[in-house]
Amino acid sequence: MRAQEIAEDFPVVSIDSNALEAAKLLAEHRLPGIVVTDSLGKPYAVLPASQVVRFIVPGYVQDDPSLAGVLSETVADRSAEKLRGKTVRDVLPEHLRDVPAADADATVIEVAAMMARLHSPLIAVVKDGELRGVITASRLLAAALRV
Amino acid sequence: MAFIAVAVFLTAYAFIAADRVNKTVVALAGAAAVVILPVISSDDIFYSRETGIDWDVIFLLLGMMIIVSVLRQTGVFEYIAIWAAKRAKGSPLRIMILLVLVTAVASALLDNVTTVLLIAPVTLLVCDRLDISAAPFLMAEVFASNIGGAATLVGDPPNIIIASRGGLTFNSFLLHLAPIVAIVIAAFIAMLPRLFPGSFAVDAERVADVMALEEGEAIRDRGLLIKCGLVLAAVFAAFIGHSALHLEPSVVALLGAGVLILTSGLERSDYLSGVEWETLLFFAGLFVMVGALVDTGVIATLAKAATAVTSGNALLTTMGILGVSAPVSGIIDNIPYVATMTPIVAELSTTLPTNSHPDALWWALALGADFGGNLTAVGASANVVMLGIARRADNPISFWEFTRKGIVVTAVSVALTAVYLWLRYFVFG
Repeated sequence: MRAQEIAEDFPVVSIDSNALEAAKLLAEHRLPGIVVTDSLGKPYAVLPASQVVRFIVPGYVQDDPSLAGVLSETVADRSAEKLRGKTVRDVLPEHLRDVPAADADATVIEVAAMMARLHSPLIAVVKDGELRGVITASRLLAAALRV
Repeated sequence: MAFIAVAVFLTAYAFIAADRVNKTVVALAGAAAVVILPVISSDDIFYSRETGIDWDVIFLLLGMMIIVSVLRQTGVFEYIAIWAAKRAKGSPLRIMILLVLVTAVASALLDNVTTVLLIAPVTLLVCDRLDISAAPFLMAEVFASNIGGAATLVGDPPNIIIASRGGLTFNSFLLHLAPIVAIVIAAFIAMLPRLFPGSFAVDAERVADVMALEEGEAIRDRGLLIKCGLVLAAVFAAFIGHSALHLEPSVVALLGAGVLILTSGLERSDYLSGVEWETLLFFAGLFVMVGALVDTGVIATLAKAATAVTSGNALLTTMGILGVSAPVSGIIDNIPYVATMTPIVAELSTTLPTNSHPDALWWALALGADFGGNLTAVGASANVVMLGIARRADNPISFWEFTRKGIVVTAVSVALTAVYLWLRYFVFG
């Protein structure tokens, strides 16, 4: 089984698009992550939902987790406001940029190995530089288990 | 042999000052060179009080690092800092003053870098809630940390070296240094509005956010907090009762650390998380290089030269040590500087003909080296750590922004210290 056979259509966002809109897309569709394209529309990175969650946690709480509890419920509920005015580029950390995509001819094991190595919840599938779809971890498992 | 010892020492010092190569590697390479050449023997390194590695210093640091590692797991520091911010009723200037006081007191009891690492996240949280820049607060805290650290034997690593080499007790540090530290902190607090003008305007609505912080939630483990409190109290009581107990501070700190390891139930990775092994090795390397200078008579020659320059005048020598220590410590790491100066001061304190207060030289060295850390952005490890935190939190503080204020703080601190030393030891002493 090849990557292009199990790749699915998946929403993508541009690197300079609104981070809040990207987060809403993740939330509304319960997505594990989203493929980010560059200005030419080519796959550039994968933005995991967990990274968006990490972004809305203030840096001082990440440095000192005991401060998480001192914030009131009202303040905690407003935490997603941190995404306002930010672009996807702002939210995407350096180490998740230029993430390689799987070739359309890659096998399930090749895609799984890439997913494990990159700690990515999904992998973009490309052919001749064009995005052909996306393989999520659950889709990969379904293919491997033939369910 | 003296020539080789000096050459190795100056080369290592140049590398440490340039900060291009890991300073621990440089210190250990220098130590290896003086051993291989051989300028100093293994007996001199491991067993000599005069020329060897100062095990009291190494193990006091290790013990305190373990105690602090456990204390950090409790969240008590965050509790106190938020409690203080709420007592300030949201006024930024009052918050800054209270955080400065909390930092100064904590720095007297804990290592400065640890204090800065503990206070910075709370400060960022409070400033985030108030929607004001955290940079002035972070700078004020690091200044307070370098000042407060001078108050006790365990407050700043240079003090630990000075105490061990000068045979000075925890109580001596408290009696002689804590008063001037209190005076300098009071003067520093009075300077805050002028030092950071325009940093205290806040929207009244944001104040409510600070008042809504729940400091009680910061305490992670109440049982551990009680154990830590008891052990810390016992450790400091033993430091103070040193003359009655006949226990060196290093042994007290190690016993305290051991009790906490046994009773805290923490994983090894947690109670060793704050141990800076590199720093301990850096100290060991420095002691060997300085030991070679002592062994070959270089230090005695330097002490004689210093006596000649000041014509054996104790007041002039004291002011000279203070006046040199502050700017030098502001430019290079104060640990190697103090490690080098301690044998010179030890020599001077016994050879100065008119010296009725030999300890005044030690206090001048400690205060000059500790306060000098505020001079530039690279004057102390705590400054470098705080600037890194500020940069990551999008509140960058430039080298010159810090140094401009640091020069003022250091000048005032050193001027007050000079008056204090003169009055206490040469007028009323």
